[in-house]
Amino acid sequence: MTIEKMLATYEFEQWLYQEAKLLDDIDFDGWFSLMHPSLKYQMPVRVNKEGTERPDYALDMYAFDDDIELLKIRVDRLKTDYAWAEIPPSRTRRLVNNVRLIDYKPNEKAVVNSYLMIYRSRSTDIHHDLISGERLDEFIFENGEWKLSKRFFIVDQTTINTRNLAIFV
Amino acid sequence: MYKTNINLEEMSQKEAIEYLNETVKPDTGAIPAYLLGDPTIYDLEHKKVFLKTWVFIGHESEIPNKNDFITRDVSGYSVIISRGADNQIRGLYNMCTHRGMKLCRADAGNKSLFTCPYHGFNFKNNGDCVGIPLQKDIYGVDLDKSQLGLHKIRVESYKGLIFGTWNDEVESLDAFLGDFKWYIDIFAGRAEMEVMGPPQRFVIHSNWKIGADNFVGDSYHTMVTHGSIAKLGMVPSATYSKKGYQIHTNNGHGLNLGTPNPDFAFPEELKDEYKANLTEEQYEVLSNLKNMIGNIFPNLSFLISHTKIKGQLISNTSMRIWRPISVDKMEVITWFLVEKNAPEDWKRRSRESFILTFSPSGIFEQDDTEVFTDITAAASGTMPLVKQLTFNYTMGLHRKPVTEFVGPGVVYDDKFTEANQRNFYRYWLDLMTK
Repeated sequence: MTIEKMLATYEFEQWLYQEAKLLDDIDFDGWFSLMHPSLKYQMPVRVNKEGTERPDYALDMYAFDDDIELLKIRVDRLKTDYAWAEIPPSRTRRLVNNVRLIDYKPNEKAVVNSYLMIYRSRSTDIHHDLISGERLDEFIFENGEWKLSKRFFIVDQTTINTRNLAIFV
Repeated sequence: MYKTNINLEEMSQKEAIEYLNETVKPDTGAIPAYLLGDPTIYDLEHKKVFLKTWVFIGHESEIPNKNDFITRDVSGYSVIISRGADNQIRGLYNMCTHRGMKLCRADAGNKSLFTCPYHGFNFKNNGDCVGIPLQKDIYGVDLDKSQLGLHKIRVESYKGLIFGTWNDEVESLDAFLGDFKWYIDIFAGRAEMEVMGPPQRFVIHSNWKIGADNFVGDSYHTMVTHGSIAKLGMVPSATYSKKGYQIHTNNGHGLNLGTPNPDFAFPEELKDEYKANLTEEQYEVLSNLKNMIGNIFPNLSFLISHTKIKGQLISNTSMRIWRPISVDKMEVITWFLVEKNAPEDWKRRSRESFILTFSPSGIFEQDDTEVFTDITAAASGTMPLVKQLTFNYTMGLHRKPVTEFVGPGVVYDDKFTEANQRNFYRYWLDLMTK
């Protein structure tokens, strides 16, 4: 691995950690400012296939299928007094690891693969939910900053074990 | 007349049924909380409701080709729904008849033969046992394979909706749906409809009846639970959901019809197809439809929603089952339905609106699950029995149904009444106490 790629990998690790921190701190505006206007934010439905046939997720149904406008609706909604799903907000802890740089053009674009584990706790509920999966992210460099232009989150469960996705992945 | 310190677990089934008859009063709007939290009721429900009645399995468009199959849970048991080489749809208990292993563990696929992972017994997708490894050598005689076919479940369809039942003596699906078919036609038969993609699945710590109750008659909650939607300008006002009709028919089925709508909620291009599939009266209802929310007894809920997204109005059609897992847990399985002949762009936008509003990430959906979870927790344990906590379902008891509506059933001329929930619980009680 070249020094340049090592530094870039470190830079995207830090980007993803910072993103996780903003979401866990419920700073949705701060988080939204990391998004590129051309954003595609998708989470396909995972399916059980016989044998090793791939991909083992749907190509035509998603738990999230947002562009920047739809994501904005979600963020705005969480700020109304009626977003009961997050009153009080979930305590979340996003663990990001196995960060790998797949494609990298300095000051232009990057493709980054990472693993994500979200711990979610709601209110007084003693249950906790775990959502784990893999992310394929694409970034565009604009005005001196890396912005997320595409996220594809492949969840590890076919039946999602959390009451809703009022949180972001 | 009420017993105190009730413990349903210590009662015989007969005593539990007597207690239900004493305490559940749908006609006067008294529904006790323990129905949502007591494990004995849950067990009884499995036997008396889910093993006795028709339950929803899936849509015919999920298995469009010969030898296509899906695996689904029917009242707690895995079933393979397969379209045979003869195009007939069958329901096969997903259990090898030799030693009981699950034959198929994929969600969907295409195959004409299922092979057991335990000893390799082979079954055709019509259920026939066609192969037993080393048969002559190890059994010594010709086994009568006709005795080893897969157990079948009774399966019938209406307008593409596939239902199954473990009860061989139950009335036909057609008779079970009865007058309600008039409304199912609008929801699922207005055009050639197809399911897009696999269903979404997620788990809620909730009793299944809360979901059915919510969809069968509870338009009242939308003002508050879904208040954010009005704030975001996706519907005109908080009281948007009051206008229209609430309708129920026999066997616990019911729906809420939001009307009128100055805009046509469906693809304009399909008007001729709608007219060809519906009666004039049904088309009239469709033309003025703002939304449609209902429940086919026991646990299939359906929805046509119409909201403004990115400045444009668009409808989306979906259905879901509240699949009981335990007394306080259910899997929600949701399907997105769309007109097969709609323009591709309309289909894509409709799917987008479904995902934004009623999928697990849906901004309507997610606030409901919060409510369902807390209600279930409050109804659990012995306290609701000891203190005889009872919910009030008297809304609209003073009102008389209207007679001028074009469709069948008992019809009220706005959506804020609990007549449908009373009808749901009346039928539920009938089954439970039979």
